[in-house]
Amino acid sequence: MTFTKKRKQRMSILIAVMVIMALLAGCGGGSGNSAQKANGEDDKSQKVQLQFYMLGDAPKDLSTIEAEINKLAEKDLNATVKFNYTTWTDWDQKYKLLLSSGQPIDLIFTADWTQYQAYAKKGAFLPLDDLLPKAAPALQKFVPQDMWDGVKIGGKIYTVPGTYKEYVTNGFVWREDLREKYNLPKPTDIKSYEAYMDGIRQHEPNMKTVSLNSDIKGNLHDRYTELVTKSIGALPYGIGIKYEKPTEVYKFWGSDEQKEELNTYKRWADKGFIPKNVLNVKDTLQDQVTSGKAASIFGDNPTRFNDMVIKLKASHPDWKLEYYPFPLTTGYATPVHPIHNGFAIPKSSPNPARALAFYEKLVTDKRYNLLTQYGIEGKNYEVKDGYYHMIGSGSSNGFSREGMNSWAWRNPEYMLFDSGFDRVKKIFAELDKIQKPDLFTGFAEDYTTYQAEKAALEQVEKQYLYPLQAGLIDNVDQGLQTFLQKANQAGLEKIQTEYTKQWEAYVKEKGIK
Amino acid sequence: MAIKEDVYTRIFKIISYVIIIMASIACLLPFLLIISASLTSNESIIRDGYHFIPQQFSLEGYRTVFTFPEEVLRAYGVTIFTTVVGTTLGLFLMTMAGYVLARKDFKYRNAFSFYIYFTTLFGGGLVPWYIMLTKYLGLLDTYTVLIFPGLMTPFLIILMKNFIRSSMPEELFESAKIDGAGDFKIYYRIVLPLSTPGIATVGLFLALAYWNDWFSSSLFINDPHKYQLQYYLYNVINSMQFIAQMGAGTGVSLSSDMPTESTKMAMAIVVTGPILLLYPFIQRYFVKGLTIGAVKG
Repeated sequence: MTFTKKRKQRMSILIAVMVIMALLAGCGGGSGNSAQKANGEDDKSQKVQLQFYMLGDAPKDLSTIEAEINKLAEKDLNATVKFNYTTWTDWDQKYKLLLSSGQPIDLIFTADWTQYQAYAKKGAFLPLDDLLPKAAPALQKFVPQDMWDGVKIGGKIYTVPGTYKEYVTNGFVWREDLREKYNLPKPTDIKSYEAYMDGIRQHEPNMKTVSLNSDIKGNLHDRYTELVTKSIGALPYGIGIKYEKPTEVYKFWGSDEQKEELNTYKRWADKGFIPKNVLNVKDTLQDQVTSGKAASIFGDNPTRFNDMVIKLKASHPDWKLEYYPFPLTTGYATPVHPIHNGFAIPKSSPNPARALAFYEKLVTDKRYNLLTQYGIEGKNYEVKDGYYHMIGSGSSNGFSREGMNSWAWRNPEYMLFDSGFDRVKKIFAELDKIQKPDLFTGFAEDYTTYQAEKAALEQVEKQYLYPLQAGLIDNVDQGLQTFLQKANQAGLEKIQTEYTKQWEAYVKEKGIK
Repeated sequence: MAIKEDVYTRIFKIISYVIIIMASIACLLPFLLIISASLTSNESIIRDGYHFIPQQFSLEGYRTVFTFPEEVLRAYGVTIFTTVVGTTLGLFLMTMAGYVLARKDFKYRNAFSFYIYFTTLFGGGLVPWYIMLTKYLGLLDTYTVLIFPGLMTPFLIILMKNFIRSSMPEELFESAKIDGAGDFKIYYRIVLPLSTPGIATVGLFLALAYWNDWFSSSLFINDPHKYQLQYYLYNVINSMQFIAQMGAGTGVSLSSDMPTESTKMAMAIVVTGPILLLYPFIQRYFVKGLTIGAVKG
């Protein structure tokens, strides 16, 4: 008797709680202020606030810039914008929450490294094909058609690609003053690079020959495959695809190529190029060079190289850095894929048309563009001889160049550069001569069928492959055997078959030969 | 005349002193390292590593922090505000809840207790929680979101309930009722004054939780002006790690206003410093609250 009574009580409480939840749910439902008419047209007479989401940290002067932009946008589009920043702390988790919670967001940053392809495939973004000609015709014209085609996932456009062409391909970075002093060879491939490092080891025993940190796979392996095996991109799961033969998939793990790679690291470790504690180093590669701790970097992109040169010019004017791009050795350079920088409209956006119209302004209207890229002229920056010039220093100026992390809406026609950037432009011009399209980044991997195996394999890699790549294992062949055995147990076969299938479908769809 | 200590007591004392001294050195050394690093030039930290005596003395870390001191101060303000408001409100709500649940003549007390207890066993998970707070309650970017979710902790409510039940006999409420006191009067004239040890314990837990909170800021705050202190610090340190992780593959160039090692250390000192100075003065309350709580469990 008492039991049933208690149960009744419990039930009634549960029901009460549910009712309250439902009420709360009802209350907050209409938080996004949509100005869409019933037929899907944008009603411009209704004022809206757009929610704009960016990665990274907000610049200090953001509120001033936002106010200026809103003044313009209110007049032109009857809209105001709120710029939100996720910060770099747990940004990938936040990004996931923002897209899965159905929060009203009108514009959000996309890139290959924020898994644009996967999110687009899962339906997190709004397809823009029909919306573009109506809401942002100028933007549609401004972005070249092949870029629109490049960002298509499953035949639909989900993001507005950035149009600025840059190369984030890698290249050797080394201390030219030391090279001249000891008359060492210029690094252009693995052999000459090793000779350079040998020389540094001999003459500067206290210096690290190469700047490394705990991210061994990124520091060594990814660079190595770009330079030596001419891989199509940073491929996962021991898959090998060469740029020249994009339709041929082979097993890189266990191949002679990989053995040669691992033996190289072993040799480097024996010579003392790779420190024993490398998996614990947290310093950035660049800092190690600019502080004089290390004498080279095995692969960095031209823009970062330039940042280092500028930094050194202020602190150590007598040091010299030099750069040699890998593409000059491999024979081809791939400019960034259109997916690399872009802005998408999430499914949850209450005002997709207005958001797109605003984004068009941001890209094509010089006033909007300069404000959001460089800040307020005279306060944050000034233009001298056509060059960008920051007022004050990075710590006193509240809005540094591209301080809003505005990489996606750069407009090549309005862009201002620091005078030091000429160095990068020169490298880019060289790479332009041998440019070929990036074939890899448009590929959208779908790992739902082998998620468990993927997680298991990642563990195996960490435990058995990273030490091999850091040259910490004495017997390379044996270590590789152990790793392969463990990887097979984790389900490598299944992953590779699935991946190959997907890749072949992609190659066929895009007509890559 | 002093009583002579026997040998064992003395040995015990010596051993315990040695242990305590070693433990406090273990606690102090890292802190000294931070102080020293904050006074070292950044380059020297990367080149030579951390040292107890700065290899290259420099104040650049502090200079960078204090170019924009209002940011740190604002974060401080937010944390103090949420801690004070959250603790006061939370204490009020939890003592009320504890009192109600402790009353034997409250018919649904078992059901309510079960409901509260149930949430400690099964949570909805991060995504529903996030959706609830942002979409349905619309708390994104408000101070409320920093305070609201922490107000009622099931564990502390149960603690409070048990405390009230075990220390105040039912007859007390009865006699108060006979004397003409209403429920609310009983609550603030009898229950509150009698449960100060419980309040101290729960209050301490709450205050610490609010002071150390960074997660709510991380998820729900976009406006840098509303960051809590811990998150502000965490974020500064994290940005640096992000750059190291992303490697060269992205072409993201953020070098201009990256915090350097020495700046991070200086920031840590600036952020923890005031509490460190304050601590000796409030320490005895901490000790009291904890020990009373321990005895009364």
